[in-house]
Amino acid sequence: MNRLRTIFLAPSAAFTVILFLIPLSIIIAYSFLTRGVYGGVVGPWTLENYQRLFDPLYGIILWRSLVMSTLATILCLLIAFPLALFISRASDRAKGLYLYLVILPFWTSFLVRTYAWMFLLRDTGFINTILTSLHIINEPLPLLYNETAVVVGLVYGYLPFAVLPLFSNLDRLDKTLLEAAADLGATPWQALYKIVIPLCAPGLRAAGVLVFIPCLGAYLTPDLLGGGKSIMIGNLIQNQFTTARDWPFGAAISLALMALVMVLLVTLLRQDGEAAL
Amino acid sequence: MENALALTALNKSFPSHKVVDGISLNVPKGCFYSLLGPSGCGKTTILRMIAGFAEPDSGDINLNGKRLNGLRPYERPVTTVFQSYALFPHLTAAQNIAFGLERRGEKPAEIAPKVKRMLELVGLEQRADRLPANLSGGEKQRTALARALVVEPELLLLDEPLSALDPALRKRVRLELKQLQKQLGITFLFITHDQEEALSLSDQIAVMNKGKIEQIGTPQEIYLAPASRFVAGFLGAVNWVDGIGIRPESTRISRQKPDPTAKSITAKVVTSTFLGDCFHIETTTEKGAAITAQVPFNEEPFAPGESVHVYWHPADELPVRE
Repeated sequence: MNRLRTIFLAPSAAFTVILFLIPLSIIIAYSFLTRGVYGGVVGPWTLENYQRLFDPLYGIILWRSLVMSTLATILCLLIAFPLALFISRASDRAKGLYLYLVILPFWTSFLVRTYAWMFLLRDTGFINTILTSLHIINEPLPLLYNETAVVVGLVYGYLPFAVLPLFSNLDRLDKTLLEAAADLGATPWQALYKIVIPLCAPGLRAAGVLVFIPCLGAYLTPDLLGGGKSIMIGNLIQNQFTTARDWPFGAAISLALMALVMVLLVTLLRQDGEAAL
Repeated sequence: MENALALTALNKSFPSHKVVDGISLNVPKGCFYSLLGPSGCGKTTILRMIAGFAEPDSGDINLNGKRLNGLRPYERPVTTVFQSYALFPHLTAAQNIAFGLERRGEKPAEIAPKVKRMLELVGLEQRADRLPANLSGGEKQRTALARALVVEPELLLLDEPLSALDPALRKRVRLELKQLQKQLGITFLFITHDQEEALSLSDQIAVMNKGKIEQIGTPQEIYLAPASRFVAGFLGAVNWVDGIGIRPESTRISRQKPDPTAKSITAKVVTSTFLGDCFHIETTTEKGAAITAQVPFNEEPFAPGESVHVYWHPADELPVRE
């Protein structure tokens, strides 16, 4: 029995150690070293990389990342909740189809889909062309290369991550509770507000975490749709490892981002733990 | 007596079959009325149509002179005790009970004393602040009952509310339920497939089968004078002897030939089971009919294989034929 367990756990243990713990240790080590002239790291050990995090320049980027991720998360939840509610109330056959449609975008590369958004949003893109030809506007609207475009891209990219946990939560919700609420005089809105949403709190938290975390670390979306003007932490980290050739600082930002995410996760998980009691 | 609920020619079909087939019945005000029937007989569909969770294909539902057809569930002066109780898991017992009052726009100052009184009435004062997950089965049942009663509905629907309780508790809760109904004077429509429950609780019973009403009457009437073979069999065990039905408790056994005023038949004892308060004796006649009799516990036991006379008084024969 114990041997079987060892055999079964070996692949995941090896995976975690080789592909997660070792690289993480390297990053931790790098973050306390000094940058090399052509990238890489050299001695001596230093705390300077962490002190630089408090530079207001980076504070702005962190703040922007938090605001845009929060906004994208809220929008995702607002769109995903009614959608998940709708799917959970469909017939079993329709449910399968709708869920399939929700995950359908994953069949194509995220990069290609983001390019598709550029095609939609740019000055000569689909939306502006239609609006211009209908004479609704004369000048193309500035839809691309701004923070709005980035938020739109984030919402689009991570919406399925919000729909799935919300669906799973709503699908398990005992439908008799809604009948009981109506029976006691609750209108559908009151039942939604008093019964469905409170009972969906775990799903909402899970959906929020699953959207917020990848948004916070996103770099492809702000890079392509933000046009380098509204960069987020992900882009900052990428810059340090590429053009800036400052690996130790990049490592320090990565770890700071990880710490932030972990604090958020622990806070939310603790709430779930309390709710379970 | 004035009627609270009147159902008139109610019909409801599902794609596969007709579940409710021309049901008409009147429930007098303040009555404890039971719909009794096997599962799938349509009784739950009737309840759901009265509550507003389903609409009849045709027919009228009137409550105290007001037509309920087409009204949303939250617009009907009717509440339900669900089979699964359907307590809101994130609300305490007291908050569950307050839910309906809040929806009616009552102020917290009005709600608090009503909830407190209801908690006392069902004996849950000590459990007010507990979540449903921390209540026992009986406490959940009483919370569900209190939650539905506190809004003073014109009609309370009870969907097999005792079926989830263990047998000992079920008997006790049954008594409490009956007392509560008498005390509050609210009209109860009770759905059950348990004939003992229906007989012990009801003022009137409508026995249903395959979407139709077989018989409406008081518990005594339907037990002693069943209108059909189905009713006779559903309300209790029946011995069918040459087409005549007799209840086992009216069936006697003796070693001597009985009094000529009684009808009798010879039979052989198959099994004899001592149940404490009586013997349960199964016999078989020469024609092979099985007859069950109950014999007082203090009689000399009958042995399997023994030849006996099975007899009964003609007055105890059920007025239905096989």
